[in-house]
Amino acid sequence: MTNTNLLKLNLGPQHPSTHGVLRLILELDGEKIVSCKPDVGYLHRGMEKMAERLSYVQYYPTVDRIDYLAGFFYSELFCEIIEKALNVELSERVKAIRVLLLELNRIASHLLWIGAYLMDLGAVSPFFYTFRERELILKYFEKITGQRMMNNYFIFGGVRRDIFDIEDVEEFLEILKTKIKDYERIIDSNPIFLQRTKGKGVLEQNVALNGAITGVNLRASGVNLDFRTKHKLYEGYEFTPIVSEGKDCYTRYRARVLELNESSKLIKQAIEKLKQNSALNQTLIQPIGLKLPAGEFYSEIEAPRGLASCYVKSDGENKPYRLKWRTGSYYAVNLLRKLLKGTYLNDAIAIAGSLDIILPEVDK
Amino acid sequence: MLKGIKGLIVSMLTVFKHLFKNSVTLEYPEKKIILSNNFRGMPIVEGCIKCGTCIKVCPSGAIKIESDNFNINMEKCIFCGNCAYYCPKNCIKMSDNYELASSDKNDLSLNFDISKKGEE
Amino acid sequence: MNYLYFLYIEFLTKHNVPQIIGDITFYCIPITIIFIVLLLVVLALVLAERKLLGWFTQRKGPNRVGFWGILQTLADALKLLCKENITPSSADRFLFNLAPILMFTPALVVLGLIPYSSEFMFVNFQTNVLIYIIFAGFPILSILIGGWASNNKYSLFGGMRNVSQVLAYELPIAFSLLGVITLASSMNLGKITLAQSTQYGVLGWFWMPCIIGFIVMFISILAELNRCPFDLPEAESELICGYNTEYSGMRFALFYLGEYSLLFANALFLSVLFLGGYLSPFGKYISTVFFGGQIGEILLYFEQVFWLILKSFFIIFVVIWIRAVFPRMASFDLLKFSWAFLLPISILNLLLMVLLKYFMGGVYA
Repeated sequence: MTNTNLLKLNLGPQHPSTHGVLRLILELDGEKIVSCKPDVGYLHRGMEKMAERLSYVQYYPTVDRIDYLAGFFYSELFCEIIEKALNVELSERVKAIRVLLLELNRIASHLLWIGAYLMDLGAVSPFFYTFRERELILKYFEKITGQRMMNNYFIFGGVRRDIFDIEDVEEFLEILKTKIKDYERIIDSNPIFLQRTKGKGVLEQNVALNGAITGVNLRASGVNLDFRTKHKLYEGYEFTPIVSEGKDCYTRYRARVLELNESSKLIKQAIEKLKQNSALNQTLIQPIGLKLPAGEFYSEIEAPRGLASCYVKSDGENKPYRLKWRTGSYYAVNLLRKLLKGTYLNDAIAIAGSLDIILPEVDK
Repeated sequence: MLKGIKGLIVSMLTVFKHLFKNSVTLEYPEKKIILSNNFRGMPIVEGCIKCGTCIKVCPSGAIKIESDNFNINMEKCIFCGNCAYYCPKNCIKMSDNYELASSDKNDLSLNFDISKKGEE
Repeated sequence: MNYLYFLYIEFLTKHNVPQIIGDITFYCIPITIIFIVLLLVVLALVLAERKLLGWFTQRKGPNRVGFWGILQTLADALKLLCKENITPSSADRFLFNLAPILMFTPALVVLGLIPYSSEFMFVNFQTNVLIYIIFAGFPILSILIGGWASNNKYSLFGGMRNVSQVLAYELPIAFSLLGVITLASSMNLGKITLAQSTQYGVLGWFWMPCIIGFIVMFISILAELNRCPFDLPEAESELICGYNTEYSGMRFALFYLGEYSLLFANALFLSVLFLGGYLSPFGKYISTVFFGGQIGEILLYFEQVFWLILKSFFIIFVVIWIRAVFPRMASFDLLKFSWAFLLPISILNLLLMVLLKYFMGGVYA
């Protein structure tokens, strides 16, 4: 039975603040949301099916496009699968390069989120300020990898070319430090921003855990779970995962800002390691005719939007038998069902934005 | 309350400060972004030995080699640079030409004459 | 105005034209002046807003059309003129077409009530302020009609939000206005301006004794104009474009024009009420100091207009500045803010003003 007093509203798939093509089917009582049903699939590109058709080296460049804001993470996952299957050890320098670029990419992704979130809330300026800093990172990526976003820089067993101009990164970190203070002055001190985010969209621990939420969203609810602590690349790095107790939109925003600092620390350590190990020493895997041994392989990493993982089942051919991606945003979208119920349309945008959903990652 | 007002003033003044800074806009068609040597733009082929490696590594099937003609379909190319990276003779290069918009579909089909093999 | 009127009639009677024709044509002149000036100002305002927002965010703003982007808004207006007027098939055609007109016309009327200088006051009623408030409230009707007639859910939300918002913020405006009226002992904008010319110069303007009223009124006018941080009726990231989602072409341009001309009118209104209107901030007018005789007297009028426009542009600058910084308010906090905070404070302000008038009435005689 449908209640005829309710107003059915399609939020999206073409809507300025659904970050792509998310469609939320809302039932509204006045401006109050009675029920919310996310509808995904408008950006489905068949990333998983495509893997079964292409050889490993052919599939690899498309992997970056799963999440265009954090392409390095997915490259890393896929390379890791191949390296694990063929038991290839990475040299120290290659590891340091990868950590450096991954963390830079995390900063770029979080910067974009901060800007876009403030844009969702209606503030204009922070969007351009964060893009200004992100531009520096993208310029560095372009210098090293040849492209600004679809980098395709990691290859099986190493990286395409050695890294250079590390001074640029050090310079950028200095700039970022002062700019973060600027953001805090503009955003954190603004009472309207606090009013919009504090106490809104409270995500309880058990709800988050049951919903398979990972990443910043989970840590902002007070669960200490950071997959970087277990990851092989990050061995020998010192950092503390940002765990905060607030559970609301504001905490999630703060956690991302703090994570910018944490990533900067990791980058500094990576630069130290790069200076100690100057030889690249990589044992590349011959890509043509590459066949993985029969079996199942799995890799996981802490991406900006939560746990990302890749599962490959190989039957010994040069193509995977089955490949599966696990992405953080997919579960966050599902969570909207619970989080948006009972809120007002106005807050719904603030809550949906705070989860950092990105649609290519959801639909794959 | 007072804290809120102070916060408002601080955030307003911080934005106001930017009024006097130089703009970061790049006026595109007149001034162009400075690209690095590694930039992956339109591919260029020279001295191909027809080994076929590039065809095998291309994810989108954009490359075709017919007797003396090396054809790259730029409608399909995703600029991943696989062909350039894995080419054994380094004869595919990614140039820094990124202005490939065209109103004619034929412009997007690049043909390279490869009848002259390398020196060998 | 009377001075100009007599000059005009005198000129006509010299050429044997009956006075009745003079009476009719005389009122066409101010309307034409207002319309032309308004169009120019709106064009400049849109450009200024885009330029300023650009500079606030370290961009350049429009810089392609014409020198320094000066023709950008003209080009935009031309584009809107050339576009097709689309009426959604399920919209209420009559109301849909009526709404943009209702938005724009009050702005024209309202501008006629402002005393631009001691002579240029096109329509001079004793109760100017009341008429201003009535006409400035008209756009709420237009937005509601437009939002409803579009038959679009987002538009409807925009219209409804606007009504609740304007209802909430109309009262604080009225109460802080009453404070000013008490101080000036008049409901005529010209007399309110004159009441501010005291021996204290800038400090004698009403913003000083009535500072609470000034701030309350400024905030409420932001809400009335649907400006950031109260831009809920057209919240881009929530309601796409709010009440004008379905409008295109010339009708959209009329909404746009109406919004900006009301912004200009309200900035003028605020500067008349609180910033001394056409009075010079130095106490003396520059033109009378430098030019003696008749030229000085004529230039004086233009100087007064200049001061008024300058003050209103300062207010508009602050409005744009606020837009660059603030996020949008939440819909319920917005109503709470008005009913629970602004309204009591503006009533308190009125009380203060009455006391001030009673004990220090001599200053604002």
